Amino acid sequence: MREQLRREIERLKSLGATYVDARWYPFEEQNYLMMWNGNLKVTDASRESGVGVRVLYRGAWGFSASSDLSNLRALFDKAFDNARIAAERVTFPVRLAEKDALQASFESPCRIDPFEVPLEEKVAFLKAMDEKLNQPGVEQRTGDLNFIRKQIVFLDSEGSEIEKRITEVFARLRVSGRDEDGVSHVRTFTLGRRGETRGWESMDMEYFAEQAERIVREMNQVRTAEPCPKDDRAVILLPGIMYLQTHETIGHALELDRILGYELAYAGGSFVRLEDFGTLRYGSEKLTVRADATLPNSPGSFGYDDDGVPAQNNLLIDKGILVGAITGRQMVEEANARARRRIFEGSSGANRATAFYRVPIERMTNINIDPGTDGTLDDIVRNTERGIVLDGERSWSIGSNREQFHFAVEIGWLVEDGQISRVVKNATYKGDTLKFWNSLSAVGDESTWEVKFVDNCGKGQPNQVMQLGHGVPVCRFDNVRIGE
Amino acid sequence: MKDRILQTLHDLRRYAREKGYEVSLFFHVEDSYLMRFANSAISLNTNEHLIRFEATAYDGRKRASYEMITNLDDVEALKTGIDTAAEMVEHAMPLTYEPTIPVLPETFIDESNWDAELASVSNEERLAYFNTAVKGLETEEIRLSGIFSNGTNVLAHTNTRSEHAQYFQTSDAQITAVLSHERLKWEVSAGQSAQRKTDLDPQALRAELAFLVKHYREDPPQQLPLGNYDIVFGPAATADLVRIMNWIGFNGGMMKRGYSFLKEEEVGRQVLSPLFTLTDDPTRRETFPFRRDFTGIERKPFPLFERGVFKGFIWSQDEADEFGAQPTGHTVMHNSLVMAGGEMAVDSLEELVAQRRENDLLYVPFLHYMNIVNPSQGVVTASSRFGALLLKADGSIAIPYNVRLTHSLKTIFGENLAWLSRKTVPHNTSSSYGARNPTAVIVPRFLCVNDLAISHSNDSF
Repeated sequence: MREQLRREIERLKSLGATYVDARWYPFEEQNYLMMWNGNLKVTDASRESGVGVRVLYRGAWGFSASSDLSNLRALFDKAFDNARIAAERVTFPVRLAEKDALQASFESPCRIDPFEVPLEEKVAFLKAMDEKLNQPGVEQRTGDLNFIRKQIVFLDSEGSEIEKRITEVFARLRVSGRDEDGVSHVRTFTLGRRGETRGWESMDMEYFAEQAERIVREMNQVRTAEPCPKDDRAVILLPGIMYLQTHETIGHALELDRILGYELAYAGGSFVRLEDFGTLRYGSEKLTVRADATLPNSPGSFGYDDDGVPAQNNLLIDKGILVGAITGRQMVEEANARARRRIFEGSSGANRATAFYRVPIERMTNINIDPGTDGTLDDIVRNTERGIVLDGERSWSIGSNREQFHFAVEIGWLVEDGQISRVVKNATYKGDTLKFWNSLSAVGDESTWEVKFVDNCGKGQPNQVMQLGHGVPVCRFDNVRIGE
Repeated sequence: MKDRILQTLHDLRRYAREKGYEVSLFFHVEDSYLMRFANSAISLNTNEHLIRFEATAYDGRKRASYEMITNLDDVEALKTGIDTAAEMVEHAMPLTYEPTIPVLPETFIDESNWDAELASVSNEERLAYFNTAVKGLETEEIRLSGIFSNGTNVLAHTNTRSEHAQYFQTSDAQITAVLSHERLKWEVSAGQSAQRKTDLDPQALRAELAFLVKHYREDPPQQLPLGNYDIVFGPAATADLVRIMNWIGFNGGMMKRGYSFLKEEEVGRQVLSPLFTLTDDPTRRETFPFRRDFTGIERKPFPLFERGVFKGFIWSQDEADEFGAQPTGHTVMHNSLVMAGGEMAVDSLEELVAQRRENDLLYVPFLHYMNIVNPSQGVVTASSRFGALLLKADGSIAIPYNVRLTHSLKTIFGENLAWLSRKTVPHNTSSSYGARNPTAVIVPRFLCVNDLAISHSNDSF
């Protein structure tokens, strides 16, 4: 197969293609189980294989993909034809940043392959969790397990050949119940990074049982709580919502394709402009953010991106100043040319596709906030006169240029005079992105820092759902509108 | 293709029966083409030919599924998929209810929604469409973005209890064109949904874009003060608001789980405005309808709201099994939602702008990033985008920066609903997540809601 792919790549080069790559997925497997109120509603497994071909011709991309590998020549020809017609409407001919030709491999850390674990064991795990969640006050309880295993072989016309084997484990428990007015409330636990590997060993029964007990207790507290007040105060975001705040108003805003207008037909743009790099005060001095695809054991660490560029750890925001973006080979060249200065030295290795039948685009890796020096969660609460601690995403809606946002969360704890006073329900907060990050007044230390996994980041047309991570501490923001 | 798929289903069914399995077998075949534009260039030109196969095995109350992306020639792999599902079901846990394996009453072939001409639109035609749609509207600073997505979608299925099979073949196209100002950052949009090639009308798209671009170039931008406004929603916004009721409105399973703003006791009651009538109407070809559901039930127009009176919940087979309800022919990939028009003789944007008015009107054609703040209260939030206009009482026009709306559906479609235009239009709501599933909602061209608060107002584009 590899030899056939190499031959086809060379053939298209000889026909005038500037660049060609192929991503062959010998297999991608998924195993998804979902139990709802004791019913194993979904017992699903899947397997797919195929090839995606990307061709650059006269400054334009063509792409084609197929699960039918019986006629690779036709598949490559189709991709080339698609590039030829695209070349009829080019405004900025695609150029690719330099990279090394690599012969390399990557394997994600996994001790116990979840695909080797018998189905009975997975079902027993869910059943045990379901029993833990089946408590007074709980009307709906769900547990779901999602395992992914894939092999990707990347070859390109510049001489790279990279093989990746990636295993992912995602797990979630959720409970909901209604208050006296019949309004539903929900509390969720989502598995994040634990230890140095992520295989079946992540499914620690004792740890999950503790989390199950916690979310039931907290959901019942919310059910009987007073409504969230509507006022301006400090918000203290726990990692369970801090990761999403980071994701939506830093991560997506700093994808270079969005900044350059490549997502305007659908997902939207970014308030960030090319002239902002190096000067824009994105947040307070307490804010340092990096895109770290080298972070051990996270879905945002993948060895090499789908341009064949090695994973990197790059600063995005340094002590509040915008310095970097999430980039691939194409966009950095265009950005530098349009800005008439060298903003980016090269690709940051963040161009990824979700499947063989999708084209790579800029995707978040691990968008992390460095821990700070403001102590533990207790320290931050103690130093807050009037605020609210928030956790768990319930809904999120962001402006089309990522300039403003509205989040609803699962639970809030009011803070009065440095102490937690009571739980509130229906908590929400909103703000303007830059104003919000510039109001960052406290960043928790390493004891508050957690790596959250994201299994459902959507972007692009055709849509692509990507897996990634966020390492975030507890953070406090001042004068934020809540309760609307 | 049709004969080959049906023959393969027949052969696989025979194989499963010989092995003593209880299975349902499902093919999804898509031939998808997408030309994407950005910065006035074709940023991506792609096509995918994918064949998905799903085998679901049953053993009394147990159920398990195995899905593959494969090709029709590889029959041995398809049989292995069936074997895998059958093996999985042995280890699955029984449900608390018995899942129904339907007996399909007859072989049903529906190709009436397929137009060979639309399915075979060429690369050159896609490009020509866009060149016409934006002719003369692009400048150095006003850039084109958009998509032209078209393709063929085939669904076919049977099971070991049915001698018959069902086969649905659809063609569709979804077009979105956005013109945005690179420096000023404003953006306007127009879209089209096509089920036949004759539905494609780039000149109509151009006319709408040209009208909006003219105003966005000439009229002053403005940050709106927070407060209450009479808001006219365009078809994209209305379709999004209606579509979300699939999840938090009239879905019986979601209601039973506490995730609906509609209650069982509200069936037969006045819940929304008398102006609001909504039907699941599979006779409307513009919605890419299923005329049978996947259990073989013939789908007929199903009233959801009649003049604001809630007529009843919909039940898929599985949710009906679980909650002891009667299935309503809604075991399908999507419904065919049709919202009735009203009395207002305002059929175009030009007519809306020219309309005499006593108060300022905020025109919101599109709602960006809608999400559900609380399902049991029916509260949703979203921002305006793509061509909003402030139509002032004195006849002048301003260009409002984007605003945020956070409201319950009962407020929007309830007593504040002021008027609906008499003309209805299809709005394509297809998502390209996962498998192709062409979907459209038919809604009034305009819908006016009085006295709605905006909770956030941007200070720039």
